[in-house]
Amino acid sequence: MRWTVLRQLAISCLIALLAFPAAARTRPHYGGTLRVEVQGDGFESSNGLLWSLLMDGLTQIGADGNPKPALAVRWASENNDHRWQFWLRPGVQFTNGSPLTPASVVSSLEAPCRSNCPWTAVHAVGDSVVFTNDSPMPNLPSLLAGSQFLIHLTDAGDGKEPACCIGTGPFQFTDPAFLKTLAANPNYWGGRPFVDKVEVLTNKSFRDQWLDLSVGHADLVEVPAEQLRLAQQQHLTIIASPPVTLLALAVADSSVLANPSLRASIAFAVDRSALSNVIFQKQGEVTASLLPAALTGYAFLFPTDRDLNKAHGFRGGLNAPSLTLATDNNATMQLAAQRLALNLHEVGFNVQAANAATALHKDMALLEITLASSQPQPALESILRSVGVASPVIDNTPTGLYRAERDFLQTHTLIPLLYLPRAYAISGRVRDLRLSANGSPLLADVSLDDSQ
Amino acid sequence: MKLVCLIALLIGSVTNLLAQVPNPAPSPWEQPAADLAEQVAAILGPGQAHLTIRNLSNLPTDQIPSIRHQLVQNLKSHGVLASGAESANAIRVTLSENSRERLWVAEIVEGDETRVAMVRVDPGEAQPPQSAAGLMLRKQTIFTTRETILAVLETPNGLVVVEPEEIVIFAHTADGWHEQKRVGFGQSRPLTRDPRASIYPSPDAGGFAAYAPGSACAGSYQPPPTSDWVIHCHDTDDPWPIIQSSTASNSAAMKAFYNTPRNYFTGVVTPGTALDLPPFYTAVPFPRANGTALLINGIDGKVQLAENSSLKTVTGTRDWGSDFASLHTGCGAGTQIIASSSGEALTDSLRAYELPALEAIPASATLTMDGTVTALWTAPEGSSALAVVRKQAGEGRADSYEVDRVKATCN
Repeated sequence: MRWTVLRQLAISCLIALLAFPAAARTRPHYGGTLRVEVQGDGFESSNGLLWSLLMDGLTQIGADGNPKPALAVRWASENNDHRWQFWLRPGVQFTNGSPLTPASVVSSLEAPCRSNCPWTAVHAVGDSVVFTNDSPMPNLPSLLAGSQFLIHLTDAGDGKEPACCIGTGPFQFTDPAFLKTLAANPNYWGGRPFVDKVEVLTNKSFRDQWLDLSVGHADLVEVPAEQLRLAQQQHLTIIASPPVTLLALAVADSSVLANPSLRASIAFAVDRSALSNVIFQKQGEVTASLLPAALTGYAFLFPTDRDLNKAHGFRGGLNAPSLTLATDNNATMQLAAQRLALNLHEVGFNVQAANAATALHKDMALLEITLASSQPQPALESILRSVGVASPVIDNTPTGLYRAERDFLQTHTLIPLLYLPRAYAISGRVRDLRLSANGSPLLADVSLDDSQ
Repeated sequence: MKLVCLIALLIGSVTNLLAQVPNPAPSPWEQPAADLAEQVAAILGPGQAHLTIRNLSNLPTDQIPSIRHQLVQNLKSHGVLASGAESANAIRVTLSENSRERLWVAEIVEGDETRVAMVRVDPGEAQPPQSAAGLMLRKQTIFTTRETILAVLETPNGLVVVEPEEIVIFAHTADGWHEQKRVGFGQSRPLTRDPRASIYPSPDAGGFAAYAPGSACAGSYQPPPTSDWVIHCHDTDDPWPIIQSSTASNSAAMKAFYNTPRNYFTGVVTPGTALDLPPFYTAVPFPRANGTALLINGIDGKVQLAENSSLKTVTGTRDWGSDFASLHTGCGAGTQIIASSSGEALTDSLRAYELPALEAIPASATLTMDGTVTALWTAPEGSSALAVVRKQAGEGRADSYEVDRVKATCN
């Protein structure tokens, strides 16, 4: 009797559901709060989630990898790319109400790189900003889209620098003292974001992030490359980028590793396949080139196989004292560093893995470098600049790019290992999430299904 | 004499037959093979080399013999002969690709030294087939661009395209559309994230009136000898026309206020109605037995029919997106609704529906649009619809936009 009642109730509910006119899928809705969780603090130097929410660059990278207008509406080069002029978008304000001026842009751009900037001078001219350099700057419009060149207010009006992060971006902190909730910028030049707020919970472990997603407490969480397979097995809705993060071993060309033969020995000793298969669960693209195959088509010219004979050959009878391999205090990166230490031990190097934040001396460092563009020429220049090589990449032909890579890689100061995708898992209410060229989520374009 | 005639006839027939044999289409690999062979020969110099080819691209394997043949011929013309594996020199050609193009790479091995030559190769494109059944929808692409399109109007004097910040006039020439004029809205307000616009012909059909969030523009064509467009834009929150008058005046029979910072109409219309309309994305007039009703798509996703001073929910619209248009086809009930399937899919589709009562009945097969339909409206003549389709080009390429004219034919 009881089962019959329950069955009838279930059937009634089903009929009621079927009879209810189903709502059509519509244009993106405005409103709602997007709940995001990240493992870091959101302000990581190359790919921190919060930068692009709060600030804009003079340019941005479009889906085709080419620079598009952002705070600059147009630009032009003169004198064979030695001088560039960027005209600012009129009527843009920082989120504290201060107008965006050429002087404020210059002030913001002078701080980040000092001596390693792609230009030697930047100054305001009328409603524009002019960059000059002794060398040509063919990739400057693309480089200016990078996170280090996002424009922020450097003077709060009282001659002092504001506490944090006043930009012109699609979101703004609701309370600068409480860096957790961001509100939509209603006056954003690119259109007010669809969601009203973004709540960012930082320093959450991946496990906690996934747990919160599964119980409906989070809408967007991170999926590290090595857990992509697990996320798929758990039927999470995943948005993944192409391989955009280069995992590479930076090798100092000074001190004990000043001898190029020792660095060459290290380059031939690393076992990329094991790193990919064991640590990163085959989710990475093994690479010995700086740019991924999808950007160039010539990556196969750089052999990825381990060659212990050559490694021993270059090592020869040379002595190397204990080496330090520094990396982030992140479990996966620590594991990868230990694996590389093991590889090098087989060739006679004694390597200690250490935390980059606390290591006093670093002979080698395991780095994650994010691709800044999906166009090979600016992407290569950006990678080289990130490791301190300041010369511009001028030749845009495949042969020219290959030679630029080959010549740099022959120094063995940076040994590419893997290209990894960036991935996120999202809840069922998240719509229209797309990733930028560097794999960051474009949250201003996201809308929520249950908002109106 | 008969024999001469017969021979002449035979020769004529053979000549005709030969004349009808089409010239073989030039191989797409001719030029890249010639370029690569030239580079290889410049590095290697005349002599013999062992040539190998491997394919790391999505090129069909049946193309490789043809590529090999082209390479061998071109190398030969530069004095480089393809030889057996015993040769001291080797040319290893890899047919590779990246996200934008094909790349052919030759590694030229001479002893311990390896040098590299590369050529870029155009990827080419394939067109997917189209098919439909029942009331048949057909599409014809009338315009394609890399810029975002919000709305388009065809006039006798050119194509008027509304972009998020500008009105652009294109003139038709023998080799396609050419940009003639570009005028900015001069908007003092920020853009919107999901911008929309609408455009209507002026009463004389030679000009236009365009509406975008916070702006309106009027354009008129100055006949020869000026042959130019005069376009004036201004900031305004005036309502947008949603129903054109059935008279020849092309004036608006109903206008609706647009929520400028958002992407929908507020629900306030002019002239006012006895009904309080909810905020909506789309509203189209639809002929019913007792007059013209208004079919609206609310921002809550409900499709409702406003008729006889009441709002009635329409069922069978589960797969409708936010955009639909009415189409006077003369088939069936005479007027159908054509609706997009969803704003989320990468490959959207359109489908025609009859609305005999309060349930939308499919009246055609779906028409695949090869992209996301971002705008859809009834063309001024009423018998076709115009759709803006955003086509995602894939990794490393910019989206493109195309305007398709969609017509229905009776079966």
